[in-house]
Amino acid sequence: MTMDTHDEDCGCSEYKALSRRQFLGATAGGAFGAMAVGVFPDWLPRVVLAESYASSRDVILSVFMRGGADGLSLCVPFGDSSYYTGRPTIAVPRPDAANSTATKGIALDNFFAFPQAMSALMTPYTANDLLVVHATGQFNNSRSHFDAQRFMEVGKPNDTSIVTGWLGRHLATIPPLRTTAPLRALGLASGLQKTLVGAPKTLPIANPATFALGGNTATINQRLSFLQNDYSGASDPIHAAALDAGNTVAILQSIGFATYRPANGAVYPNSSFGNALKSVAALIKADIGIEAAQVDIGGWDTHSAEDPLNGSMANTMRDFSNSLAAFYLDCITTATSNGVTAVAFSEFGRNARENGSQGTDHGRGTCLFAIGKNIAGGRVMVNNWPGLAQANLDSGQDLKVTIDYRDLLAEIVQNRLGNTQLDVIFPSWKPTMWGITK
Amino acid sequence: MSDTEVPSDTGVSSTVRAPASRRAALAAGVAALAMAVLPKRARAQATRRPRPGPITGTPNIPNEIPVAPQEWASDSNRLLRRITYGITDADVTAAKQYGFRGFLERQLDYTHIDDSAVDAFIAAKYPYISQGTSQLYNANSGTVQNQLQQSTVYRAAFSKRQLYERMVEFWSDHFNISYSKVTYLKVVDDADVIRKYALTTFPKLLYASAKSGAMMVYLDQNQSRSGSPNQNYAREIMELHTLGVDGGYTQNDVAELSRVLTGWSIVGRGDFAFYSSIHDFGKKTVLGVTIPASSSSVGAGAIVEGEQMLDMLLAHPSTASFIATKMLRWFVTPQPTAQQVAAVAAEYTRTGGDIKAMIRVVLDPAWVAAAPMKLKRPFHLIASSMRTTTPTVSGVAGPTAQLNNTGQQLFMWDTPDGYPDRVDYWAGNVLPRWNYASYYSALAGGEVNLDVAQFMRGNAADPTVAAIDTRLFGGEIDPALRASLTTYLKGGTYNAVRVRETLALAMSSNTFQWY
Repeated sequence: MTMDTHDEDCGCSEYKALSRRQFLGATAGGAFGAMAVGVFPDWLPRVVLAESYASSRDVILSVFMRGGADGLSLCVPFGDSSYYTGRPTIAVPRPDAANSTATKGIALDNFFAFPQAMSALMTPYTANDLLVVHATGQFNNSRSHFDAQRFMEVGKPNDTSIVTGWLGRHLATIPPLRTTAPLRALGLASGLQKTLVGAPKTLPIANPATFALGGNTATINQRLSFLQNDYSGASDPIHAAALDAGNTVAILQSIGFATYRPANGAVYPNSSFGNALKSVAALIKADIGIEAAQVDIGGWDTHSAEDPLNGSMANTMRDFSNSLAAFYLDCITTATSNGVTAVAFSEFGRNARENGSQGTDHGRGTCLFAIGKNIAGGRVMVNNWPGLAQANLDSGQDLKVTIDYRDLLAEIVQNRLGNTQLDVIFPSWKPTMWGITK
Repeated sequence: MSDTEVPSDTGVSSTVRAPASRRAALAAGVAALAMAVLPKRARAQATRRPRPGPITGTPNIPNEIPVAPQEWASDSNRLLRRITYGITDADVTAAKQYGFRGFLERQLDYTHIDDSAVDAFIAAKYPYISQGTSQLYNANSGTVQNQLQQSTVYRAAFSKRQLYERMVEFWSDHFNISYSKVTYLKVVDDADVIRKYALTTFPKLLYASAKSGAMMVYLDQNQSRSGSPNQNYAREIMELHTLGVDGGYTQNDVAELSRVLTGWSIVGRGDFAFYSSIHDFGKKTVLGVTIPASSSSVGAGAIVEGEQMLDMLLAHPSTASFIATKMLRWFVTPQPTAQQVAAVAAEYTRTGGDIKAMIRVVLDPAWVAAAPMKLKRPFHLIASSMRTTTPTVSGVAGPTAQLNNTGQQLFMWDTPDGYPDRVDYWAGNVLPRWNYASYYSALAGGEVNLDVAQFMRGNAADPTVAAIDTRLFGGEIDPALRASLTTYLKGGTYNAVRVRETLALAMSSNTFQWY
């Protein structure tokens, strides 16, 4: 029976304490309905209901910017004149340019600037809670979206035998924040992102607000019981997913997503990314033991008509920054049982020079964003800016990668998520700690 | 770098030379090279099957590969599960009558399967899907999209040409195009590329796709011009359509191919056109093949440069292996062996990419008999639900809309790799599947009318579950599932509602999710 293998080999303490088989036995009679809809009548600040436990571990929001996000538009190196010569039609004007304030950059220091579309992130930046790391990415030089994303998500370049994700292995190698949590992590997606594969008690849930079993309410418990029994003989990952789903339905239904009111006047954009972050904030504040959420935002594959001032890139950046800024106000600056760290990055950047379609093709180095009260922010960190002059470009085309993204994630995993098994999470990589956490 | 990493853009093949013709190259004994250039992934999968281990030190938990239940004993039913969207009584009978090979041949010879009833329904209900760019340009885009999606669901559920429909789905992912970017052009691509050539030859498909206005727009090829080429299509035609990401090309090859393809674009309302005025007539070298500089006076004839590149990609052994691997994954196993890949790739090479010939190799009875189960993607599940229960249907808007909830809204995958064909992607999505089963089983009186009477047997649970077994499981239900369904049915008053709930549970069951 496959379950036994899973239990014996897992190695994580939650399974030692209570195997999945035992857990199934305990819940298959419909006991997961114990925390039924209506126990929590409306949205409450769940902090007051929290179990008492001491932990300095943060909850993590991980954002994948899919498509190869143009770091040179996200965080503009206006101090490098080659940026302007390479991009005659799609550059963001210098902060001290004569252009109207509606178009020119917002200085982050005397070299880098945000475009106006990123202005919402000035709030965490000026509070020293937002760190931008530039000229980062992976040294693996794939310009394939799919290979580059896969290698980044599994946490080891060029190894196609690894099937689990870095965040999945983090969760699999650390005890849960709350042993009774039915769901430790979720991907806000229809299918589980590679990043989370391998994580125990983790599901893809496209919309947590509608995560409920349909049909006749009078037979819900009977039917859930049938299904959990039926899937008890299934193989993983289907088996685990079915078990987790049955156990998660009631607790998610207890959270009043519809009436959730963000804190501090935060306003999330009514976009799929904005709504996803809002759901994550509600889940974190409900304090049900969620430790990690993976959210994706697309729209970065700007081969044509990029236009970071008014066009597609501006729109995507505005959605990105307004959503993250709302999450910051709502969930990071307010007290939660655990702190919250957010990180956002992309598989690669784009060519330093624009192409003939007022766009940019696949490149190399780009930006990574980290937000949190314990992130050493308020700065743009670079490992000696490699420069955009022709001679300094990777393959004569691209901003070089100077910091491996795994260094940055490893420091967050170790110092903010409390997991020291970095050799498991990022195999055969000896991370350099750049001091991005406090 | 302290890592043991190897850059992926290595391994240029300087030995591949421009073939005089595709046929000549395919005949040139490239089969002998097939093993040597087998994609890295195929080799890795052939040599090791990762085993579960303690997490510390072995941070890799593979998906278990589920074996088929022992009740799935009938060879012809195994074939049916692989090449259809769900078992029907008629197919079970036919497959038994004609045998494994006989039934497969009848499905391959799809133009001789009388599908006139389905064709007539489609023509009357979804007229947009057979129209051209100039007509579709003026149509309501949402309506056009609905007709494309609903007609696809209808055909998967009710067409007798099931293997053909399965290959249409396969190529729709292989040459993925998102409706949200190209709108009505996807309709034209679906008819003139995917459906027209789904069971012909791979070279015909690739040529049609490379001269599809939809593909030109989707991958920005229409934005590319001499002096400022756009690399999007040039990259994906090698990475996703032919060689595969490990197929032996470099970033420089991408850049050079993008120069060769300058001028491939669209005209009017989105039909393919070649413009010599924006073509790069300079010298280009792709995968070691040099196209010498020429005079712009060549004009429209310069399209042959791109065609020469298509021929080279089609003749490349990496393409044979890549297509073989994907077809094996589609029909047989997530982890094809090197021997399986080599056998199918050799057939590609021998036949010039004949898709039917490759399918005959892929669907080897011994391989099918030993094949692990595959998880139905949501589209497959929805087609299965209708196929196995023969509802009265005047439209499929409802079930099609359910694809949004289950995560496979048709023709809406943004990126050019197509909807994933991996269990780890879809496995977590169990609750939406259960909810679809509840939704579908309750349909009565509307566009889709599921007649529950066909399952009701004189207030008796056992024959009711037997009817479910026959219809949904080809008479090969797992005894434990039969028992639990019977228990559930007996747990309430025997009536249509309870039988529908039992049917929903059968469709929600683990077994029904696989094929």
